[in-house]
Amino acid sequence: MLSIKNLTVAIGEKKILSDFNLEIKDGEIHAIMGPNGTGKSTLASTLAGKEEYEVLSGEVIFNGKNLLEMGADERAREGVFLAFQYPVEIPGVSTTNFMKAAVNAKRKHHGLDPMDAKDFLKLMKEKLALVEMNKEFTSRSINEGFSGGEKKRNEIFQMAMLEPALCLLDETDSGLDIDALRIVANGVNQLKSKNRSFLIITHYQRLLNYIVPDFVHVMYGGRIVKSGGKELALKLEEQGYDWIKEEVGELI
Amino acid sequence: MNLTENIEKQFAEVSNTNVVELRKSAFTAFEKLGIPTSRHEEWKYTNIKTKLNEELSLTPADSQVNAAVKNYIASLPPYAFRIIFLNGVFHQELSIVPDLKGLTICSLKEAFSTHTSLVEKHFGRLINYSEEHFAALNTAFVNDGAFIHVQKNVLVNEPIYIQYFFTASDVNAFTQTRSLAIVEDGGSIQIAEDFRNASNINVQYNHVSEVYVGKNSSMDIVKLQLEVSNAIGIHTLESQVERDGKFSAATITFCSPNTGTGKPVIRNNVTSRLIGENAHADLNGLYFGKENAHIDNHILVDHVAPNCTSNQLYKGVLNDEAIGVFNGKIFVKPTAQKTNAFQSSKALLLSNDASINSKPQLEIFADDVKCSHGATVGQLDENALFYLRARGISKPEAIQILTYAFAHEVIDHVHSKPIRQFLCDKLKDELKVNF
Repeated sequence: MLSIKNLTVAIGEKKILSDFNLEIKDGEIHAIMGPNGTGKSTLASTLAGKEEYEVLSGEVIFNGKNLLEMGADERAREGVFLAFQYPVEIPGVSTTNFMKAAVNAKRKHHGLDPMDAKDFLKLMKEKLALVEMNKEFTSRSINEGFSGGEKKRNEIFQMAMLEPALCLLDETDSGLDIDALRIVANGVNQLKSKNRSFLIITHYQRLLNYIVPDFVHVMYGGRIVKSGGKELALKLEEQGYDWIKEEVGELI
Repeated sequence: MNLTENIEKQFAEVSNTNVVELRKSAFTAFEKLGIPTSRHEEWKYTNIKTKLNEELSLTPADSQVNAAVKNYIASLPPYAFRIIFLNGVFHQELSIVPDLKGLTICSLKEAFSTHTSLVEKHFGRLINYSEEHFAALNTAFVNDGAFIHVQKNVLVNEPIYIQYFFTASDVNAFTQTRSLAIVEDGGSIQIAEDFRNASNINVQYNHVSEVYVGKNSSMDIVKLQLEVSNAIGIHTLESQVERDGKFSAATITFCSPNTGTGKPVIRNNVTSRLIGENAHADLNGLYFGKENAHIDNHILVDHVAPNCTSNQLYKGVLNDEAIGVFNGKIFVKPTAQKTNAFQSSKALLLSNDASINSKPQLEIFADDVKCSHGATVGQLDENALFYLRARGISKPEAIQILTYAFAHEVIDHVHSKPIRQFLCDKLKDELKVNF
């Protein structure tokens, strides 16, 4: 599904990712943890195609295609989805209209006709149920006046609507109360499939009680310094990151 | 013969014999004022004198109904009331004016004879023709226009649609049109004034709307300037609002001239005087300029009475080499304590050559008031653009969607549902947004 090799990324003069490597196979769930400022969000934004991030070297192959050659919108149409850490409020555009434009852009990209109104409404209804949102949400402007939890549920709703192959969740759990966390996690679990992979970026092990990862990676200094199974997350929760810093201190 | 001599000669030939003394007085005022140049503070960024033809013809031009007029009328939503003028001449056969008790809709010419005292009470009394160049010219020369009168406590639910077509076959025509709308105490009405160039040559016109909003009554006016790309259009809208009265005006301008041929200038002077306690005015505007469009909005809310509120919300989208001018004034007289006045002007510049001159002007002479203003000029929000693109929407489409969202707020404030819907469709059309 996704193969990242020796990826080095900078913002301005500052190198954030250096020689980053990661392989994700179909249907796998990977979690990336790590202290603040180690490049986790940069990784997500770079994969999604945010232009401020300059790729200095390395390659990213997504389902056989060179991801780095595509613009953000083309990556999305090819099946990459980023659930934003800070979803953007856009007054004046309803979530319904937004999703209509997005779903049809993807369909057009794959040579399909725009979805007819009835099917679209049916799809919306089905996906709203997944994140326990009511229809009223979708007629409101995108994220405008939404609580933190509502914004994150809206991200998962959009993910469900667009049926991506690769889901990047950038700290989707940060700042959520336990109910919202449960709803978000439940949404993700229902979207799991053998053709869909997840890369979950998080600070906290708590989310991983609800979404069970196949692999847990620890990022430090712009690269993965340790990988393991779900038990690694538990150890991090108990012991913090200091032992990792000590272990890899001389490598950085 | 220079421009002023030309105008003087024509004034001697004015055929309309109503309110002769007032017209003479307005003409004397115009002779003093003349056509403004950029030396006049209020016309600093819009040098109108260099734009108007020298050989102006102020008497009504030929007004044959052409195919463009017929097609446009056929395309309109089925408004219950519509009143149609071609080059300032009333066309009864194209108008629809059903009887409604307490509502009068007719031509101004007719009103001068059927509602003489009412017309004379307001005509030329609301505008300040001793200071406003084009209001003076219009008052001296105007031949005809729309007259609307709502009697006390009469609520009119359907919007009144006034269409001013310009089909000039004479490039020198400078058509003077006028509306007078009066809503008496406790009444309510919604009006659309639509200005449209229905010819393939440049047209020039000068329109004045005088509006009186009685006690505890409400009036909404939407000025549609959607097909004025090859026009010099000067608009003056003057409203006076009595105690507990509510007035709202929305001025919507789409100006995208054909490259090279046009020298389009749209100027709007919109003024509201709040003369009774607890009166309210919303003066909003939305403008889209492309190519060498020049769109100038001069807004004034004059707070005379205490406890009044006002809002000004102007938004502009300028592309290519379009020029925008925004001058928003709030005057608060010493008598107008507890005034609450708000102003916001936002412009999106979508090209490097587009420009906006934005000038808020607050003159406050009372000490217990709340007034605020804000002006922004900028580009689309990069984060919002990325958010849409990250969902698969192409960059050009994302720009259209965000521009739509930016502009839509002004249309959202239009009270009349059929007119709001009409504008919404027009906006989607203009931006090629299809949802």
